[in-house]
Amino acid sequence: MHRLKILAGHLSPPGAAAGGTRDVGAAECGSAGGSGPQDVVVVHGRRTAIGKAKRGAFKDTTPDELLSAVMTAVLTDVGLSPDKLGDVCVGNVLQPGAGALMARVAHFLSVESMSLRAIGEPGDLSSRVTEVDKARDCIIPMGITSENIAERFGVSREKQDAFALSSQQKAARAQTSGRFQREIVPVAVRHADGGAEREVLVAEDDGIRAGTTLAGLSKLRPAFKPDGSTTAGNSSQVSDGAAAVLLGRRAAAEALGLPVLGVLRASAVVGVPPDLMGIGPAFAIPAALQQAGLTVADMDVFEINEAFPSQAVYCVEKLGIPLEKVNPNGGAIALGHPLGCTGARQVVTLLNELRRRGRRAYGVVSMCIGTGMGAAAVFEYPGGA
Amino acid sequence: MEKVFRCPGRHGYAVEVSPFIPHRVACAASQHYGIAGCGALLVLDETESGVAVVQSWQWADGLFDVTWSEANEHVVVAGGGDGSLQLWDTANRGAPLRVAKEHTQEVYSVDWSQTRGENLVVSGSWDQTAKVWDPSLSHSLTTLRGHEGVIYSTVWSPHIPGCFASASGDGTLRIWDVKSAACRLAVPAHRAEILSCDWCKYDQNIVATGSVDCSVCVWDLRNVKQPISTLLGHAYAVRRVKFSPFSEATLASCSYDFTVRFWDYRRNRPLETVEHHSEFVCGFDFNLHNPGVCVCEEHETIHWFSGCSFEGRTAVTATFALLSGSVTSLKPQAL
Repeated sequence: MHRLKILAGHLSPPGAAAGGTRDVGAAECGSAGGSGPQDVVVVHGRRTAIGKAKRGAFKDTTPDELLSAVMTAVLTDVGLSPDKLGDVCVGNVLQPGAGALMARVAHFLSVESMSLRAIGEPGDLSSRVTEVDKARDCIIPMGITSENIAERFGVSREKQDAFALSSQQKAARAQTSGRFQREIVPVAVRHADGGAEREVLVAEDDGIRAGTTLAGLSKLRPAFKPDGSTTAGNSSQVSDGAAAVLLGRRAAAEALGLPVLGVLRASAVVGVPPDLMGIGPAFAIPAALQQAGLTVADMDVFEINEAFPSQAVYCVEKLGIPLEKVNPNGGAIALGHPLGCTGARQVVTLLNELRRRGRRAYGVVSMCIGTGMGAAAVFEYPGGA
Repeated sequence: MEKVFRCPGRHGYAVEVSPFIPHRVACAASQHYGIAGCGALLVLDETESGVAVVQSWQWADGLFDVTWSEANEHVVVAGGGDGSLQLWDTANRGAPLRVAKEHTQEVYSVDWSQTRGENLVVSGSWDQTAKVWDPSLSHSLTTLRGHEGVIYSTVWSPHIPGCFASASGDGTLRIWDVKSAACRLAVPAHRAEILSCDWCKYDQNIVATGSVDCSVCVWDLRNVKQPISTLLGHAYAVRRVKFSPFSEATLASCSYDFTVRFWDYRRNRPLETVEHHSEFVCGFDFNLHNPGVCVCEEHETIHWFSGCSFEGRTAVTATFALLSGSVTSLKPQAL
């Protein structure tokens, strides 16, 4: 610290100096700790393409096929034999028995088929649910929570449409420039159309609408409330997909000769009112950053799930995150939101983007959670040698 | 012709051309800009085709200065962030021959004397003392106190035996006499820290200082009320100054503003600015054997430039293309 002070003194000495500009100074920045054997590292991650539910690429595909594809790809890529895996954790929202909670740090694999399971079947719940406000709020349809946020915090229809347009444009650009190629595992599936069955290789996200325009979005009718602002065009899509992330202690990764793609620096889960569930990231992100000893300014990229444009815009603005850092390759509005898959998908996309940029950098993955939670994690991409 | 050597992960702090072998340099380097981490000492030969590593050693702390022995072509001394001086032999890739740990803070400067057969090493430290050593570095011969701030630079006079100059964070330039272990002269040369000083090779009374106030000042020790020349132009702190061995009125300076500048102090004006560096330039040296070769050093990189020539009244316009491996051409122009 002494040396740092002395060197800093050379660059910003007390008192005026003859000639020269004084636009150099020391800026506080975090470093989230060095590298130790107990670090939780991301070894690798892949995802399938994301398909539109019911009509898209995976409409006739069972979740286990998607799961198997990404799991196999991750292990094959790093040459790890499955018997070396310690724990396998699968996140899912709508499968029978899956429940509506998301797995946390030990989140290995995430998969969702919203084609085969519908949101409208919550399963068995106590009849007392309706008696307690917050419990009752847990089964409010998600679209209504979006409207609640838009109203409560004044997020206009125009802002939401603009945000949605941006997501589509970023995703389209990313797709055409081949940015997703590295992370997507092509899956061979069968499509049953009428009587005929054909085999298709799915390697591209089919939800992206490159031709989206503000004018087109503004014509859409609200989907959840007659005078609302959330539409089918500016919300996340109902989708199928799977993603897998391989985690471990750095010591274990090194012992097995595995690479390190990223380091998990912090994670946080917070509770928020269920009727405003979308504000989750606005509280989870600061909690995770604080844990990591870092700030918004230290982050290069934020993957904030775009469940709805109202909540996404609200969170970004509340935290003062520069828009260019948010979902640079598009988000759930354009790509789709296979519920239990999204978190792992965001990790895969985030680390691939940081790797593409080449430098050591930090990123955040965050999402809101239906029933009133927010989760966020800070990842570090360690950069080159 | 410009040659480049890259040492990834090391920030060069000082470079010195060997007094015996014209194409050889020693370079003291540190990790993380010297703020934390370890250090390295490199001995490099410039060859026809590029640069060859003769020897390289690691040190547990950053290394901030290096000086070649004037008596033995294999020997080099470095000063480190741990307060130590180390004596290294280029023929021996193992541990240093000797480590002297007396300074209680970073050693920022080491210099080997070259006057009239005396063989002494002087070190300057952030512990505010300068120490004089015999070439075996067994123990210091004298410790000189007086500075009220960290010492950045200690340089032997090339003319007067047993005499050296020091530059300090206390803003003074001091001239010391080793025999009497006393400070002969204390010049309040700058209001800000002085990071470097050097003696004119042609006039024993002339000393230059480079300061955090971005100026280079040239002093006549016979009358230190004001400098005989104040050279302005650097945009940030001046990190090192050196007088040219070839031209009486020329000196060079490097700075945190990423440039190396050449000056004519008699006419109080700049001669040339080398602007193409992309990082802090901490060290450079003139090559005594090959007139006009400057060795500049910066973040992870050492550059050799050939053909800088400031002989006599010639002003040089230099077009340096500082991408590694490219050729530079210099066209001396008469004024």
